[in-house]
Amino acid sequence: MSSSKFTRRGMLRSAAAVGGLAAFYGPWKHNRAYAQATDKPIRLGLTSDASGQYANSGASDRRGMLMAVAEANAAGGVLGRKIETVHLDTETTAATGSRVAERMITREECGFLVGAVSSGVANAISQVAQRYGVIYMNTNSSSPTESGENCHRVKFVWDGNGANFSKAAIKNSIDAYGGDFMLLTNDYVWGHDTARATRVLIDQYGGSVSDEILVPQGTRDFTAALLKIQQAKPNVVAAAVGGDDQIALRQQVAQLGMGDKIAWINNQQDWPDIYGLPADNLFGVFGTTWYYKLDLPGVKEFVGRYQAMYPETSMRVPGNVFYNGYMATKNLLEAIERAGTTNNIAVIKQLEGHVMSAESRMQHHDAVVDPNTHQVQQSIYLATGNPAPTEDDDLFKILTSSAPEDVRDQDSLGSCKLESYDDTPTFDA
Amino acid sequence: MIELIPHIVNGLTLGLLFALIALGFTLIVGVMEVINLAHGALFALGAYLAMTTIGGDWFGSSEFGVWWRELPLSTRYALGVVAGPLLAASVGMVLELCLRPTYGKPPLYGLLLTFGAALVIEELIRLIWGTGEQSLAVPRALNGAFFMGGLIFSTYKFFAAGFAIVAIGLVWLFLERTPYGATIKAGAHDSEMVRALGYDLSKLRLLVFGFGAALAALAGVVMAPIWGLRPHIGIDVIIPAFLIIVIGGVGSFWGAVLAALLVGLSVGITGAYAPAWSMLSMYLLLIAIVGFRSRGLLGRKSALEN
Repeated sequence: MSSSKFTRRGMLRSAAAVGGLAAFYGPWKHNRAYAQATDKPIRLGLTSDASGQYANSGASDRRGMLMAVAEANAAGGVLGRKIETVHLDTETTAATGSRVAERMITREECGFLVGAVSSGVANAISQVAQRYGVIYMNTNSSSPTESGENCHRVKFVWDGNGANFSKAAIKNSIDAYGGDFMLLTNDYVWGHDTARATRVLIDQYGGSVSDEILVPQGTRDFTAALLKIQQAKPNVVAAAVGGDDQIALRQQVAQLGMGDKIAWINNQQDWPDIYGLPADNLFGVFGTTWYYKLDLPGVKEFVGRYQAMYPETSMRVPGNVFYNGYMATKNLLEAIERAGTTNNIAVIKQLEGHVMSAESRMQHHDAVVDPNTHQVQQSIYLATGNPAPTEDDDLFKILTSSAPEDVRDQDSLGSCKLESYDDTPTFDA
Repeated sequence: MIELIPHIVNGLTLGLLFALIALGFTLIVGVMEVINLAHGALFALGAYLAMTTIGGDWFGSSEFGVWWRELPLSTRYALGVVAGPLLAASVGMVLELCLRPTYGKPPLYGLLLTFGAALVIEELIRLIWGTGEQSLAVPRALNGAFFMGGLIFSTYKFFAAGFAIVAIGLVWLFLERTPYGATIKAGAHDSEMVRALGYDLSKLRLLVFGFGAALAALAGVVMAPIWGLRPHIGIDVIIPAFLIIVIGGVGSFWGAVLAALLVGLSVGITGAYAPAWSMLSMYLLLIAIVGFRSRGLLGRKSALEN
């Protein structure tokens, strides 16, 4: 008969030992590796909005990501592995963004996250991603803080930000219309950050801000703000209003015929926000990172591939949001291929400082992933409504194209403090 | 002080539009004691149906379609204003038929069913009309601006406010001056007695729900040129509508109108002087009024208060 006995002390010791081991090797610890098998698909978590203020842009963002994935899979995958995607709706809500990111990483086993339009959502996702060391491609949120004070080692920002667009627009506006500015600002992180960057530039170029109207998210009636603007009579109104709020604003400005009575700077203009609106809704000047009628190599073919993949989509040509979603995903997959591994730190190092030719980006200038802020420094275009469109979709008239170094967001260089590699959990996806 | 006047005018017009939005919602809550969470979706559906009628998309490139599109925009707009609410009313009636098994059960059943219906209608809109932004064309005469006191005002917004006044007046006349209105009000007050007197309560409920849905859709048609048109636009409607009927007193027609004007004024004036508080101001108004008078401005006194 065996002399071994289960004693209470022995049980407690065993439990403590198992608990300690679990804590050490657990999934939340550095150096975890949950997907060593090389035949296992690489899973991308698509964190784009399907509801809320940015539902429409989120859908466009997602289409861009899916086209990049489809093309990679058609070419044999990455490192010989198929790419799989999982999408969960981030609902244009920061709290949902956190929950979705947590679930994507811990339950869906996504090794990479891609997608955002709202800066609040992007910030929430990136905090979770950094905790797990999961690389996150912020495709379309353009608050300067995303590559400034809220930057992270795992996060890469693919859109131009409010400071880039303001820089391209403000000096021209002061020269043309005068220096008295009024700011119309969406009352959330992107609006505030963009307005702050705009103020700095207005000061820098000798203008002044007479007033700022804060517009809560979800505002549908802008009459009070528009009356106040008329009473104040500024030279220029610099608006940082996004999504559905901006659509309502545009319609109401057009109804009042105020579009050409005051000089408007509309910061960035996302394609899904204006597609389908009447031409008189496109007033003022605004920024964009890409346009489907740019006369550059590869653009026509890119538009053709979009139309072949999405023949049923009401948006007949791709816009900047689709473009950013596509470029971010494509460059992520290429970085994995170059790294020869899915190890997150190795992939991060491949992305940092990576130079993309103007040809591959279908822009006028080469672009680079800034190794200090992780924001893609790229061409910024100033545009306005097209008075002589060549076809129904030809809504923009491109006014200028600025080289990345001319519109660089200098503030983010000072405020971004990336976590060290050692402080970033490592794993193979 | 003079600077305040345009903002008061704006607040009142906004209030009238809020009243129009809340009208169908308050009717269904008051008469049927159902919180219709599909109100916003019916609002959107009405606007989409009107847009399609105005554009003549129903008829494709047929001879009739070509003839239709050659009609003056004002004629097509007037027909759209009628067709959108009528078609939405039939959807509302189908919804009422689905709601019948929930009568007499806890209110949660009705809430869940109308919430589900809202999701279904919104998805149908996405499938039929796509996810992108659309615009509802209005006649040129309504679509400009005019000067008043050196400021530009939107002609359409004033037209919409006038439209809201007419709609409020007609609904009041219907409820107060017609036998149908009397039956509806009696049904809300004592449904058992109405049934005992030989009225068909099922038909009455069907009529009320259809009428409420038509009013929601009418509000959608009127508001779409101001707010824009997208599948999820109904979300923007539910909260103000709910707030207004609580402030006004559940089931009170004039309470809802008064509450809508107060909400419009508070949003309009804070929008000018403390714009960051403009959305919050309606919730503060709710807290202030319900805090002092729990049944709302003109709500009926509860038996518990006696």
